[in-house]
This record gives sequence, C-alpha cells and structure tokens, in this order.
Amino acid sequence: MFYRVKYIVMETIAAISTPQGVGGISVIRLSGKEAKKVASKVFSCYGDVSFKDIEPRKMYLGTFKAENFTEKCMTVYFKAPNSYTGEDVIEFQCHGGTVIANGILTALINNGATLAGPGEFTKRAFINGKLSLDEAEGVMDMINAESESEVRAGYNLLNGSLSKEILELQNNLTKMLAKIEVVLDYPENDYEDQTCDEVEKVLLESKQKIENLIKTSDTGMLIKNGSKVLILGKPNVGKSSLLNAILNYDRAIVTNIKGTTRDILEESYVYNGVKFVLTDTAGVHESSDIVEKIGIDRAKQAINYADVILVVLDSSEKLEQEDKQILELVKNKKTILVLNKSDKQNKLDLSGYNFEYKFNVSALNKTGIENLKQSIYDLVIDKNIISSNLLITSKRHLQALKKAVSCINDALNSLKIGNTLDVVSIDIKNVWFALGEITGNSNNESIITEIFSSFCVGK
Amino acid sequence: MKDNFYDAVVIGSGHAGCEAALALARMNNKTLLLTLNLDSIAFLACNPSIGGTAKGHLVCEIDALGGQMGINADRTTIQRRMLNSSKGPAVWSLRAQADKIMYHTTMKETLEQTKNLFIRQAEASKILTKNNKVIGVKTSQGDTFNCGAVVVCTGVYLKSKVIVGKYTANTGPNGFAPANKLTKSLLDLGLNIRRFKTGTPVRVHSDSINYNILEEQYGEDNIQTFSFMTKTPPKNVIKCYLTYTTEQTKNLILDNLDKAPMYNGAIKGEGPRYCPSIESKVVRFSDKERHQLFLEPEALSTKEIYVQGLSTSMPTNIQKQMVRSVIGLENAQIMRDAYAIEYDCIDSLDLYPTLQYKNISGLYFAGQVNGTSGYEEAAAQGIMAGINASQFLKGKEPLVLKRNEAYIGVLIDDLVTKGTNEPYRMMTSRAEYRLQLRQDNADLRLTQKGYDVGLVTKQRYNKYLQRVNKIKQLKTEFDKIRPPKEVNEMLSENGEVEAKVGISISDCLKRANITIKEVLNYFPEFKNYPTSVLTQVEIECKYEGYLKRQDVQIEQARKQETTLLPTNINYLKIKGLSLEAQQKLDQIKPLSLGQASRISGVSPADIAVLTVYIKTINK
Repeated sequence: MFYRVKYIVMETIAAISTPQGVGGISVIRLSGKEAKKVASKVFSCYGDVSFKDIEPRKMYLGTFKAENFTEKCMTVYFKAPNSYTGEDVIEFQCHGGTVIANGILTALINNGATLAGPGEFTKRAFINGKLSLDEAEGVMDMINAESESEVRAGYNLLNGSLSKEILELQNNLTKMLAKIEVVLDYPENDYEDQTCDEVEKVLLESKQKIENLIKTSDTGMLIKNGSKVLILGKPNVGKSSLLNAILNYDRAIVTNIKGTTRDILEESYVYNGVKFVLTDTAGVHESSDIVEKIGIDRAKQAINYADVILVVLDSSEKLEQEDKQILELVKNKKTILVLNKSDKQNKLDLSGYNFEYKFNVSALNKTGIENLKQSIYDLVIDKNIISSNLLITSKRHLQALKKAVSCINDALNSLKIGNTLDVVSIDIKNVWFALGEITGNSNNESIITEIFSSFCVGK
Repeated sequence: MKDNFYDAVVIGSGHAGCEAALALARMNNKTLLLTLNLDSIAFLACNPSIGGTAKGHLVCEIDALGGQMGINADRTTIQRRMLNSSKGPAVWSLRAQADKIMYHTTMKETLEQTKNLFIRQAEASKILTKNNKVIGVKTSQGDTFNCGAVVVCTGVYLKSKVIVGKYTANTGPNGFAPANKLTKSLLDLGLNIRRFKTGTPVRVHSDSINYNILEEQYGEDNIQTFSFMTKTPPKNVIKCYLTYTTEQTKNLILDNLDKAPMYNGAIKGEGPRYCPSIESKVVRFSDKERHQLFLEPEALSTKEIYVQGLSTSMPTNIQKQMVRSVIGLENAQIMRDAYAIEYDCIDSLDLYPTLQYKNISGLYFAGQVNGTSGYEEAAAQGIMAGINASQFLKGKEPLVLKRNEAYIGVLIDDLVTKGTNEPYRMMTSRAEYRLQLRQDNADLRLTQKGYDVGLVTKQRYNKYLQRVNKIKQLKTEFDKIRPPKEVNEMLSENGEVEAKVGISISDCLKRANITIKEVLNYFPEFKNYPTSVLTQVEIECKYEGYLKRQDVQIEQARKQETTLLPTNINYLKIKGLSLEAQQKLDQIKPLSLGQASRISGVSPADIAVLTVYIKTINK
C-alpha cells in the first residue's frame, strides 16, 4: 500500500573521524553540498580570508566558535570531486580529547549538518564513483558479508522488546492509515470514517510512547558511548593516583611535582556493564606556565560536558583557596567529593559545604574505590530506565524517533487547522516511514544506512 | 495493395483501443483499427459509469493529454457526482453514470470522423514480425495488413470463457465472439500468458423494482467536468437507488457455496480483490450482516438496471433467489444473468514503461490484456501506447510519465516494475504524491506534454495557456502583501484572529475559516476570474506547506529518476548484485535507476552497485 523510492538523500553530513579517546589531535569531517556554508557559520580564518574564498587543499588557521567555547584550530577544504567522498569536504583539526571534538561536531550539526551514519563517508565515496568497480565490488562483498552476520546477530532488531514496541507503534499507524485510505478509495461503501478525535488520540498516544523512548536515549547513549567522569582538583591532591586506582593500572604519570599532567588524559573502564570514560585534567590553579594554562581552560570546558565530576581533596590538609574555587565551579553539577589520602590524618573541614556524596579513599592503598565506583554508577544510571529494557542506544534511531515526533506534530497541527484526513494521512505516512527506518519495515534510504553501518564512522 | 499498408494497426476497439487508435491517427499516422465487432466499440461491458476514486483522475489526465474518454463521458453522462467532496481536493473524484448505448455510438462516431483512421471488423490472428520488428497483422478472414507498429488492446477477449454456475460458454462479454487465435501468436513471440478473471452483476427490469422503499441517489450540478474542453456541463437526468442485501441473501450464498465456481474450483483465473463477487464478500467478511448495493440505469433508452455490488457466478436459479432476497427486488425480473469471465492476459513485466514489448520493437500492449481492471485504466494505457507507438514510428523520444506527474505514471510504473497478480485497479493510495496529482490540475501537469508530442490541438493548447496565465495573474494578486485594514474585516467576521502586520490573501486562505468564497465576498473584484482558476489558486494557497514538502521529496528522488540505464546491460554479469537482483533486473530491464529501485528484491545496496557500474561504463 505504501511505497517510497529508495533514493539516496545527499544531506551534508559530519562526524568525528579520529577514534574516540586520547590523541594529540581530533579530526572532524564535513561532507556534502552545503559543507562550505555550514563551516563558514562557525569558523573564521585568521587574516583577511573569507571562508568563501579559501583554496582547496591548503591548511588555514582560525577560530572555531562552538556553543560553550572557542577553539583555535586548523581547517582544510577539498573541492568536489577531488575528495574522499567525491563531494565538497571540509576537515577541522582540533586539540585531542572528546570534549572539544564533540563540541565542534555539535556546532556543525546545529548549523545545518546531519550526523553521519556509520560508514557513511565510505558509502558516499562509493555512490559518487570514487571507488573503482573492483574496489566497489570488494566493498560490496564486505557489506554483504557484514549485513548477513548483522542480521544473524539481530543487529537490526535492537533488543527484542524495543523492536517489538516500535513495530507495534508502526502497526497501530498502519491500521489507522488503512482505515483512512479505505474510506477515500471506497467512498460509496458504508465503511465508517474515523473521527478526527480518534486519529488525534492515536497520534497523541504514539507521541507519548515515542517521547518516552527518546527519554531513554540519554541513558542509552551513556551505556553505549560511556558516561563522562571528570576528575578535578588542585595540583598534587592525587588525581592521577585516583585515576590509576579506579582503572586498576598505571595510566597517568604520577610524580610529586605539581602539574605533571598537562594535557587531558582519558581512559575508560566498565562497571556493572556500563562504560565510564574517566578524564584527568591538569590541576586547576592559576598558572603562569602557558602550556599548563591551556590545560586548565580545557578543564573548565570539560566541566560542561561531564556527566559526573569527582572533586579530589587532600583530607590531610586544610581547604585552600584553590579547593574553594573548584568547589564553586562544580556546585551545580552532579558531584562526588573524593577525600583522598584517608591513610593520613584527617585535617579537612568541610563545614559550610553541602555535598551529598563524599567518600574517603586512599588512592595509594586503593581503599574505598569500590564504593566510589558504585556511587558514580548510581549517580549516572537511571535504574528505572535500565530495568525497563527499552533503551535507545543508537543516534540514528534517536534521529528517526525525533523525526517521527516532528511528523506527528505536523499531523496534529494539520488536524487543528481543520485539514481533512486525506491530507493529514500524508503526515501520518511520514511518521510511519520514520519508524520504518528503525524497524526496517519500509522501502527507503534507511536500509542503505543499515547495510553500511558495519563501517566505522569516518571511514 | 495500398489498402493493406498502414503505419499502425490497433487490435481491439475497447477503451484502450479507441484511445490508442485516436492518438495514432491524430498524430498523423495512417491507422487501422481492427475489431471483432463494430457494435462492441467502446462498449461498457460492466457498469454503466465512468470515473470514481482515482479513476476520475485518470480520465482528466487522458483528457489533458488530448484523449477522448473525458469528452465522450461528458457528452453521454446522465448523472454525475463528486465523490469525497467532504475531503481534501486531492481525493475529489468525479463519477458519472454514462448512457451505455450513447457512449458506444458517440465514440464510434468520433472514430469514424477521424482523419487517418480506418475501422475494420475482423479477427486478428497473428502478429507478423521480422528480425524482432513488427511488420504486420494477419486476420482469420485471410487479410494481411502491413504496418510498422501494432498496439494490442484485446481486453478480456483472448480465449474468453463466460461462467454461470455449471454453464460455461467460450464467448466474450455479452455474448460477443472471443478471440481464440491471437494467444498462440503471442506465445510464439515469447510473451508470458496468464489467466485472469473478472465478472459483472445481474441486470433487472426497472418496472419490476419496488423503488418506493429505496433510498434515492441524486446527481450534483456545478461540479467539474471530465474534459477541460466541455463548455456545457451535462445535466442530471436520472436517479440511482441504494439498497442492501439481507440475512436471507447471506444464508442463500453460504448454503450454496458448493455451486459457486469460485469456490468449487471451476474458476482458476485470478480475480480482483478490488471488486469481489458477492460470494467472496460474504465469505471473507462473514460478520457483516448486509452489503450495500446500487441500482443504476444502463441507458435512457432501456429499462435495464445494473445492480452494482451483486457480481456472482452462481447458477442462474440461485441468482434469481439471491436477487429476490434484496430489499426492493422481491419481485425483480432478471434480464441478464451475472457472470464471471476468464481470459488470457500477458505479464506486464514483459513491457517497457513505453508499453512496448521488450523483445519486439513496434509491438505495444494496452488495457486489460496487461492485467488491469477498469475502463479508465485501459484508456490511460491506450493513449500512452498510442503516443509511444507514434513516437516510435517517427523516430522520436518516447513519452514516459513519472509517478509525480500523473496517476497514469503511477499505473504504468507499477505495471512494468512491480507487475500484478490480479486485475490491477487504480487507487488514490497508490500515489505517493497524491496532493500534486489532482483532477483540477491535470491540464497543468500534462497538456504541455500532450502538445509537445503533437496530440493536443492548438485550440486546447491555447485554452490551457490562457488558464495558466490567469492562474499566474491571480496568484500574483493574492500574494501581494496588504495592510491589515484591508483584510481584517474578512478575518474577524469569520472567526479568525485579526492581522497586526501586512498580510497577503494567500496567507489568509491558509486559515481554516477562510475559503475562496469569503475572499470573493470581501474582494468582489476577483469575481471575474473563472471558477476553475479561483479553485486552483485557492488549493495552491491552502496546501502550500504540504505541496512544498512533497516537492522536496520529489526533488530528492529526481536524481535517480533521471539516471538512465541502457537496456543492453548484462545484469547477470555484474558482480556485487545479489542473485535475486540480477534476475529481477534482467527480467524487468528498468529504464532508470529510479525504476530499478522500486523493483521488489532490488536492495539499496544493489542500487549502489548499479550507480557505480553506470559511472564506470559512462567513463
């Protein structure tokens, strides 16, 4: 009954092309017809260079304006078809670490780019004929093999209950659409027309259910991508020791020289099946050392992106001005005070501060660490959501659900201004298609994305 | 000898054949129309009506291209109604009761008066080809007509068999002679032949109906006509009646199912889900206590009444009891039995979107022989086959309508891309760009195309250009931003919030309570625009948001629709295509990447492979 062309929509896409985690630099790639337009909104080149006039294949230094920070970074432009994807491509090279790269990606998306699906750059290279037939066939073999194994592994089916939930939503709409359409195609038969109220009711119910699913995406994403735990503290309170204790191996270089950690360190661990990304920062204090100064600015930015902040205090010493500054910075965030050096005598006085979560640990002796980990878990993970087993963990699924809600809103609005059901059904079909992108129960472009999803983002 | 040389031969004079022959002749091709019986030209073998949902759209489109069905229907209408008028304009559908006798004679007259068109009663028995090209048609009577193109429009006449209970007869509809020889010729040419089934209900004598207890159905005036050329709309001169089956009807059918050829295995052909026999309705929807029936006069000059909804192939004695169990038909006299009819048809997947058979150039197929159902579907294919046969004869580009351009485009694309396993009926829900494809704008969508191929007359084209200009003019007026004081009276008096800043009439029309009627009340200066122009602009304004969104979708699909695929690609040799895709593509030989993408079993990955392949061979 429904029918949609499997066309290839060439929106401008963006993604972080370097692996998540530690690295000297991160590369964010933007590809598509609108690449220059999107980039020009957020990046200004140094000197008198307008973004419109930048030459291909030449590095430019400039300022990237993200929502919460500005970043000095490099950009390079590849003009279509002389690029990896065969489209206009712009790459940004910024400082390493996920915080900045994510911030830049978010800014690009807010300015008109769409998040690239897994393997989408390769897919485009392929579609635009950038790969030879031989290469293309090689790619296809790989895709076919991958997709088969994915199907076997139930990759597309998410977890069973979620898939069931979305299929049910789609089926409800199918039934409603069928009822609308049959009246239109057979007006002379005595089929009962649905009232606008009935349609509105189904739409509102569906919307509620989809919005509830969307709400799980925060937790879902945290579980899939890892929640960000930021370690903050003045120099030499034992932040790196704590990181090593939590990770249970020596990642950070620990010395008793203040300011040993000058860049941000990121490492991840798994607790109760959930991934946590632990970030160690340079000590927050006024520094004249320009290199360390940059590190401190990073830390301040990092606070904005952290899911949980561990403020490390030295319990063997009294609160200092720098400690107080830090406590001021984090007062509105989910924070755990980690009172380190519990092996020494306690001289810390926290009267006047009201932090709910406090733990005495000794990073050196690795005591109190388990309790701390449990507490981080409790603070981040919504137990109700995780036990319901209905979790959105894919950005693509999230996008599809958001599209569905937006189409439901179109439909509701259309009903409100008095449009007839034959017209409203156009919006309802779009909702149906949006859900079909998740269930695979539609004929369109999403399937190509599914097939290519075995490719890593960015290549 | 010259008598036997034609540019084109059309086989069959039903609704497809008439349009194909007229299109060919009007495009200056010497055309021969072969028919088994001159008295069966444009015969309305089933219901005496033209149009209906999606079918009305097809008729308007045929008309916009320069076809005859709309004009002929307007000339012979005895009652008409706009279905779905309480819904949005996209699904408004004109349905007319046509006088079946006048419909036939009027069409026959048109054919007879058409220059370049020769009509001949004879049975085509063989299509002659040489080097995979059409060269002529042989008749059972012994004639051979030489030609460069053939359009096969044999409807339900190929080896047709009429079934009434245990009684069967090898005849066409209404006792007309069947065409028993052509199937073999088609098989010899490599076509896949299938067997489909359809049917028609009983006709009863008007004087035997108790109309007093039945609900009357009146026609409507002041509604659009089928043809953009019709100056005087037809009048409503008859009434139809609504009635219902009873519990007795239901029991009668259930008790006698073993006698129904549909259920006892006597009928093997695939019947349509879209217009089922009463026995299938009763069996499939067993919880339904009654079924609706319409009583429709067949013509002004006869007392025969068509009982719409009572199709059956039950034995005649059961039919009589069934009819008499219907409210108002207690004493009805059957004049003609209902019957089922089985016939040979081809697999439409053997055709290109031009409706040409893939293996023989110059050989076209249109109408029910392609596995469709309905006069309008047949005529729509007929006109397209006629146009494309003419383009072929002249060495010009074929005309293939896209899915976003016409219901005709949807119909033919479905047929040649997806195929059909039952008689295919057009439905509004088959069109993905429904809001664009309306009856009222059929001329705006298609008349230019019809003119470009030389089918639309100068007269019609000028009329179209005038309308286009008027619409543009009015839209410009409506789009002008006006100070709030000019429109606020209209807004507030109709319960809409007043405008605070300048606003156009177009924007006012987007409000729920403002229609063109209100606009004319407050802006009488626009009253001199024709209603069709006013309605057109009103619809464009009211649905602007939707139309724009659909335009975006159409644009997104356009790239694939315009990426052409050569027909000589050896799909079986393209590595990377799935086996199913290789086979389907090899069978269907799509003309564009868009068409390929709609074939079931061809995945987006296959489309990606094809995209790359096309780029490689074009290098």
